[in-house]
Amino acid sequence: MTGGGDISFFFKPESVAVVGASPEPGKISNIILGNLAGAGFGKRLVPVNPGQASVMGLECLPSLEESPEVIDIAVFAIPAGLVPGALKRAEGKVRGAVIVSGGFGEAGERGKLLEKEVLDTARKAGVRVIGPNCLGIYDAVSKVDTFFIPVDRAGRPGRGGLSILSQSGSFAAVAMDELAAEGIGVARIVSYGNAVDVNESDCLEFLASDPETSAVVIYMESVADGRRFVEAASRCSSEKPVMAVKVGKFGAGAAAARSHTGAIAGRYEIYRAAFRKAGVTELDGYEEFQAACKAFGLQGRAGGKRVMIITDGGGMGVGIADACHALGLEAAPLPDELEKELRAVFPPYFSISNPLDLTGSATDESFAMSVQKTMSGGHYDIAIVAALWGPPALTDSLPGMLAQKPGFSEKPIIVCTPGGEYSRSRLRLFREAGLPVFTTPEGAVRAAAVLAGGRRRR
Amino acid sequence: MAEKAAIEKIVKEAMSLGRKALVEPEAKAVINLASILVPRHRVVKDMAGAFEAASDIGYPVALKLVSPDMLHKSDIGGVALGIKDSKELEASWSRMVLSAAHEAPAAVIEGFIVEEMAGRGTEVIVGGIRDAQFGPAVMFGLGGVAVELLKDVSFRLAPVSREEALGMISEVKSFPLLTGFRGGKPRDLDAVAETIIKVGRIMDEVSAIKELEINPLVVYERGALAVDARAVLG
Repeated sequence: MTGGGDISFFFKPESVAVVGASPEPGKISNIILGNLAGAGFGKRLVPVNPGQASVMGLECLPSLEESPEVIDIAVFAIPAGLVPGALKRAEGKVRGAVIVSGGFGEAGERGKLLEKEVLDTARKAGVRVIGPNCLGIYDAVSKVDTFFIPVDRAGRPGRGGLSILSQSGSFAAVAMDELAAEGIGVARIVSYGNAVDVNESDCLEFLASDPETSAVVIYMESVADGRRFVEAASRCSSEKPVMAVKVGKFGAGAAAARSHTGAIAGRYEIYRAAFRKAGVTELDGYEEFQAACKAFGLQGRAGGKRVMIITDGGGMGVGIADACHALGLEAAPLPDELEKELRAVFPPYFSISNPLDLTGSATDESFAMSVQKTMSGGHYDIAIVAALWGPPALTDSLPGMLAQKPGFSEKPIIVCTPGGEYSRSRLRLFREAGLPVFTTPEGAVRAAAVLAGGRRRR
Repeated sequence: MAEKAAIEKIVKEAMSLGRKALVEPEAKAVINLASILVPRHRVVKDMAGAFEAASDIGYPVALKLVSPDMLHKSDIGGVALGIKDSKELEASWSRMVLSAAHEAPAAVIEGFIVEEMAGRGTEVIVGGIRDAQFGPAVMFGLGGVAVELLKDVSFRLAPVSREEALGMISEVKSFPLLTGFRGGKPRDLDAVAETIIKVGRIMDEVSAIKELEINPLVVYERGALAVDARAVLG
């Protein structure tokens, strides 16, 4: 359906125009212009409105046709029926369009025809299109923000290495908001909506060679061209981790199938086979999506599946070990020399094994020392630290002491800190220390499994 | 695949007759061209032909109905196994014709297969489907309840490598049944992997085949035999 081709200009534009930029607060075009200005987009920002001399203090162009130069991105927040005409007039003046308007393929037969007209017009005019029916781009690198959700309703994350692709705009906005709240930075978030032109495969091709992106998470309902997706995702996953949540798993399979194979092969089984072929780690639902974002937003890929569990609550430690087992991670026993080393420094009533139980006598220092000693050398790939805040010696310095740093541990550390009021108010401290923190053992182990390359799911 | 043209010829002929599926002898010819082993068999039109085929092949034999209108022939009494002599063959034949006339009076009967009885082994299913978005894919599962009830199967996009095929076999829950569970004999995993690879190749190269299924593939300590096969065209 799409022709491919380079879309990198969407992510390093010299100019962004907002078509139909309204001076009226609350209008979508007004929110977008405000967000772009507020995000600190430092290049040329151009409101397009024949009825206004200026909007928000920015000089208006009466129409795109009158632009003295080629504009990299034009955001169209105008009624669906006006889009084809506006695109036609943009010929030669615009490289890429972000069409946030709805009322296209998602809205019945008339919408489908209109969508086809958009594609045909864009092709003729030589304009690449993101959307329609999308939020477009939130880019922490280039500072482009076409999401028409006000900043007070959905927070904007800072800069980081995570990039997110989502067909669904509402999902992209919620994910963005959650990441902002967790203090996790992003590179690019693209909501591509109906994907009339630019789709997940185009984005994956761009992200594969995007130096700002260190990991990619896709939220996917369907793909237009499965084989192209497999190729693009394979290329991207050979460069950096690529993960995907597939929703709409239980749609009818091949209804008219005449063999067992045909009857069993639902859409989801084939998607899983495709993810596997493409080296994409499959994420099971929203919780795992969150876990993956936290894990890869703050830590890097784990070298393997061997987990060291460090806790001050024996019961919680055993629960984590069980969860590890269930997701295909190994809570391998302590090697003899490591056990000796720990016995030499810790009191006899600590339980020196894996899980390592520092008991109610735990201190900030004993936690930090445990992480440092077990994670140096080649015995383990990931540490899960389950810190329960009961022991009186624990202080608010603990999170900072566990933060990854050279000479301490450069392997991934995941924190689990369940509990009520007191514990919850400590979550922020772990976030500030750049540690992925979870309130349940299952959440922490899911994150560890994602870092280790995905659970072995059947 | 060396025999691609020959396979396509079989498929084209069936389609030119307006058929949407291959009957068992055709499906077996297709997989056999891809060098998947099938039991010795012969298609016959009448009782005399059946007697002759059975004595050539050697008792015990299986007798199966060939009809483009019955893809699930065992459901309507279209399969008789372990026929020991000519008397039993005659009885089976009569029963089958009566049953078919009763259960599916409109079905066209093209003939019968007389086939050597495959030895006992572990039954598995190897299938192929063509997906609208992702193209050809292959499926593996252990026979019977494991597939039909528990859906204990694995999928990969085709074509598949040897490593992928072995991965498909080992990832199903019922895998231990192939490696000597409860004193059973370990089965020839390489033969299964080879079959999966070949089905993947057929699916990848012969685009007119929409579904292909070997059910069962009987797996032995050495080797495997495709005892039944079907294909959907389109």
